[in-house]
Amino acid sequence: MVANSWATTPGRLSIIAGGIVALILLTGVVAAATAMSKSDTTTNLVEIHEPTAADVQRLYSALSDADAAAASSLLAAGDEPIELRRRYENDIALVGPTLGLAALDRSGDPRVKEQIEVVGRQVPTYVGLVETARTNSRQGLPIGGAYLREASNLMRTEILPAAERLYRIQVERVADERESAVSFPYAATALAVLLIVALVAAQIQVRRLSKRRLNVGLLVATSAILLGVIWSSVAMTAHARLVNEGHDHGSAQVNLLADTRITALQARADELLTLVARGAGATYEEEFAKLSRTIVGDGGDGGTLREARTMTRDEEMVHHLDQSIGAAERWLTTHGEIRQSDDGGNYEEAVELAIDSRRAGSSAVEFRSLDDHLGVAIKGGRQHFVAETVGGARALTLLTAGWALLALVAAAGVVSGIRQRLREYR
Amino acid sequence: MMRGVRILLATVLAATVAACGDPGEPRSLVPVVPAERPMPAGVELAPEAPEGGSGEDCDDPTASLAPSGLSTPAGSTMAEIKERGRLIAGVDQNTYLFGFRDPSTGELEGFDIDIAREMARALFGDPNRVQFKTVSVQDRITALQNGEVDVMVFAMTITCERREQAAFSSVYFEAGQRVLVRKGSGYTSLSDLGGKKVCAPKGSTSLANLVAADPTPVPVAVDDLADCLLLLQQRHVEAVSTDDTVLAGMASQDPTIEVVGETFSSEPYGIGIPKDNKDMVRYVNAVLEDVRANSWEDIYGRWLEPVLDSAKPPAPTYE
Repeated sequence: MVANSWATTPGRLSIIAGGIVALILLTGVVAAATAMSKSDTTTNLVEIHEPTAADVQRLYSALSDADAAAASSLLAAGDEPIELRRRYENDIALVGPTLGLAALDRSGDPRVKEQIEVVGRQVPTYVGLVETARTNSRQGLPIGGAYLREASNLMRTEILPAAERLYRIQVERVADERESAVSFPYAATALAVLLIVALVAAQIQVRRLSKRRLNVGLLVATSAILLGVIWSSVAMTAHARLVNEGHDHGSAQVNLLADTRITALQARADELLTLVARGAGATYEEEFAKLSRTIVGDGGDGGTLREARTMTRDEEMVHHLDQSIGAAERWLTTHGEIRQSDDGGNYEEAVELAIDSRRAGSSAVEFRSLDDHLGVAIKGGRQHFVAETVGGARALTLLTAGWALLALVAAAGVVSGIRQRLREYR
Repeated sequence: MMRGVRILLATVLAATVAACGDPGEPRSLVPVVPAERPMPAGVELAPEAPEGGSGEDCDDPTASLAPSGLSTPAGSTMAEIKERGRLIAGVDQNTYLFGFRDPSTGELEGFDIDIAREMARALFGDPNRVQFKTVSVQDRITALQNGEVDVMVFAMTITCERREQAAFSSVYFEAGQRVLVRKGSGYTSLSDLGGKKVCAPKGSTSLANLVAADPTPVPVAVDDLADCLLLLQQRHVEAVSTDDTVLAGMASQDPTIEVVGETFSSEPYGIGIPKDNKDMVRYVNAVLEDVRANSWEDIYGRWLEPVLDSAKPPAPTYE
């Protein structure tokens, strides 16, 4: 039948029109779907994946913080300071809700389930051990210290590694989603190119058959598709640039700062546990030295804090990072004094230098300053990420609807242009 | 038409039968895993026995220099200390009842601390003129060799090997290895514990004695002595075995456990003194003579008698 129709000019025109209209509709649907999926993926990045990663990161730092706060409380002879107790309680209170939310977003990943199981099962045991340590200490029994070290061992060997893996999985997922959001739209591009070639070929064919100059309908269709292609390229380029910007100057930095913060928290716990262990804490001290080098490097050079600083362009962030570096270095100086006092047999002075939050220059004060500035910098980095990524999502606004409209215009152009020619054969 | 109806009926029937198949067990989405019981770091089950490091033999390691009164002539070590204004004593801060820090006050207390205060009382007439320098077990000898302390009052067992590195006073406390068990567990001595888990610190002579015992218990070694009490409380081990002084400290932290059995090793404690300060050894021995006669039983009664039985001060031997 097609072969028969192709023999006559009107038949041939009808086939060309039908084919092109089908191709236009297909291109329109694919391009609109691509735009919609990019826009949705980008929105999910801001609304689901990055927040989940940030929540899990906060869980991880809360757990490290709980460990440090519990050790501080035990060192404070007599009644434990209420603010330390509150911090510990607030840290632990974060565990259940965060795990619940992380479980909601597990998207069938069995690794997520495993980590949630470990944290969910071990944290209650940890809390029990910490309370046993407190109860013994309040009665003046030194066995409390042994319970605290056992609790801390559980935290470091089981709970924190699981929380870290959970965090890495979420960060990985953010990266995957971002890549899929900025991936090149191969299918839509191929269809658009094919369609434009077809439209030009049709124009030539129609011209040969009807011996007229340009067919206006086909011209309108071609213009509509070209407009769609140009609009898409501009919008998607802007989108990719903004989303990548949000990563490079937002989430990549947040990841680095979050790692730094966790390292600092672990070093702080090591500093305190060296004192809790009372002369038997050499392993904690070795770990402290290793962790502190990760943060500020060696002799005023290197370390993750300076690395994060070079990645930053925002002035306020630079300020907070400079403050963090200063606090970290003062902390290390004080730490040296603490070790000197403790090794020199002056334990009371060492403990006071380590935990007295009212004494200027104590490692409690400097550590808190480091942690606070890091917290602000992380917030700033996240803000940067959100601003850029939402900007990226906005660049794609209306593109889906635009493609639907342009495809209809193009189809209408083809139909009316060819029908005009067909009428001449009646 | 009829054939169509028949096929339809057959299909419906088949579908219904399939739907009546085995529904399976009720499911659980959370697997029930028994709780993992926590353990302190560095616990070692059935470790290699440490070398019995008795070193070269000497006649009687506990024989010290005879006392020569409480005078402090010019140029003597004691005169230097008096000039400084305080005695520097190396002490333990980890052994409950012997040398420990009260967690609620942060103050150092215990049997050894009181003995060190008696030294200060003899020198200055004031038991508080003493600066405590807390050291770890491994650093005791080094601190003496470097002269960082005047005396080391740190539950130190006098051995031939140590006598080569430092000088010792006469014996001021006679300790020995015993076992610590839960009350009502039925164990009355080490011989009841064959094949059972018994805790001792890594690399200690206590551990070597356990491995050598017959019937042999299963030794469990820990980095920190306090972890032994924790393992006993958490029911990971059946007993703890080390010096009775340490066991006394553990027993007094938990009313449900007790020290049982006879001592099966001899651990004579002496005050460590830098090797060259012979005048100080004689002086300390003179102070100890006085302590044995007067305050020893008070100090013992304050710290150890509630847990161990009553005891008399050990008699000194001199070269």
